[in-house]
Amino acid sequence: MPFFRKKRLFIILIGFIILVALIGFSLTDRGKLTTAEQFVNDTVGWAQGVIHAPVNFITDIFTNIDDFRDTYKENQLLKEELSENRSLIYESQELREENEELRNTLELTDSIRDFEPIQATVISRSPEIWMEQVTINKGEQDGVKPNMAVITAEGMVGKIQSPSQFTSTVQLITGFDQFNRISATISREDGKDINGMIEGFDKESNSLLFKIIEESDKDLEKGELVVSSGMGGVFPAGLMIGKVKEVTPDQYGLTRTALIEPAANMYEVNNVIVVDRTLTEEAEIESEDEEEGE
Amino acid sequence: MKRLYLPLFLFLFLILEGVALELLPASLIMSDYLIVPHWVFIFLVYLAIFYDEENTYFSVVYALAFGLLIDIVYTGILGVYMFSYGLITYIIHGVKKVLHGNFYVTVLLGLMGLALADISINGIFIVVGISDMLWKDYFTYRLLPTVISNLVFLLVLYPVMVKRLIRWSKEQLAGRNTI
Repeated sequence: MPFFRKKRLFIILIGFIILVALIGFSLTDRGKLTTAEQFVNDTVGWAQGVIHAPVNFITDIFTNIDDFRDTYKENQLLKEELSENRSLIYESQELREENEELRNTLELTDSIRDFEPIQATVISRSPEIWMEQVTINKGEQDGVKPNMAVITAEGMVGKIQSPSQFTSTVQLITGFDQFNRISATISREDGKDINGMIEGFDKESNSLLFKIIEESDKDLEKGELVVSSGMGGVFPAGLMIGKVKEVTPDQYGLTRTALIEPAANMYEVNNVIVVDRTLTEEAEIESEDEEEGE
Repeated sequence: MKRLYLPLFLFLFLILEGVALELLPASLIMSDYLIVPHWVFIFLVYLAIFYDEENTYFSVVYALAFGLLIDIVYTGILGVYMFSYGLITYIIHGVKKVLHGNFYVTVLLGLMGLALADISINGIFIVVGISDMLWKDYFTYRLLPTVISNLVFLLVLYPVMVKRLIRWSKEQLAGRNTI
């Protein structure tokens, strides 16, 4: 067969070598994209922004039609919730003011809870299912840096993987593995918080794996809220991650793993907030040094 | 100016792939089936069959260029789409010499190409360690839905593109020997 002549085999072989070299290059742990990649990302991102508006308009019409169907039922539910929320809002405002006053008297101004929000819009989602990444329309020029947390109104959706100048890629929580841990906590009264790490996403049960570090007396209950603890140094504390769905012992029976249902819907991410933690790690270290010096 | 049409079309499909998942109903995305749009590749198949002469390789060059673009924009791992699209387009270009380019041949080559390209991409991802799906699951949950949904796109594109591509091919490639 003339198809596999020597010259062709040679070309395919060279192609294979280039492939291996390129993959090897991109799999190395590089924090920053090359300038060429950033340029391509920004150019395509700009065009995606143009295309995204009309496409979004059309999909919105269809979701609106869907929404009309169960408006009445939702309305009833929402009215009930609204009345509950009013009292909650009042209560939380009181607490916040009190907290601020107490902090002022203690001269604690920065907290790991504080963050600067950067509003962004999702302009595309990777068609390659394995990658679990979306592109947003804010980049380094807007102050986005690698590893910042990305949230929606419902909860955490992911973290910044690689920022370009005007766009950045966000890795969704569903694509997290053991290299992207989140330090998380379940808040309990009397300092009996349950601490642990979110160690990846289980595709079969569609839930995050929450490994509990400290054995606590009480068992976890279904429906308890898991929030970020801020101890990882990058994410601020108090970002909503999800709800406990099930608790299972690990294969050795030493620690327990909770299956967490993510709070945010990963398939309808449109407007997100990039979270820029006010208190950065360097600042923390500096303040600690000062304390020691005194 | 007319020379720019092909890259522009490819670029448009590249961008549309990024919003393709939003156009599908949510119930389909939430289900176990994984659908990956390969619209750029389908256009490359049309280029290989209807645009390229026997001794021109525009489709392969575009496959390499836009494969690399997909790698940069959507996966961040360079070379995977570039190699797969390039190789499969090259094979289709070779097979086309034996078969006459009509509707059935297009569907056949499109099906074959889609399956091979997706298997190649997934194979590389498994070797690299990004995907950990079993091959058995891969065939039912990813390959089959992906090929079928992309075939729909291929059929939609047929009446729109074929005549145009043949006309552009005659206008632009007449009197050229190789690239």
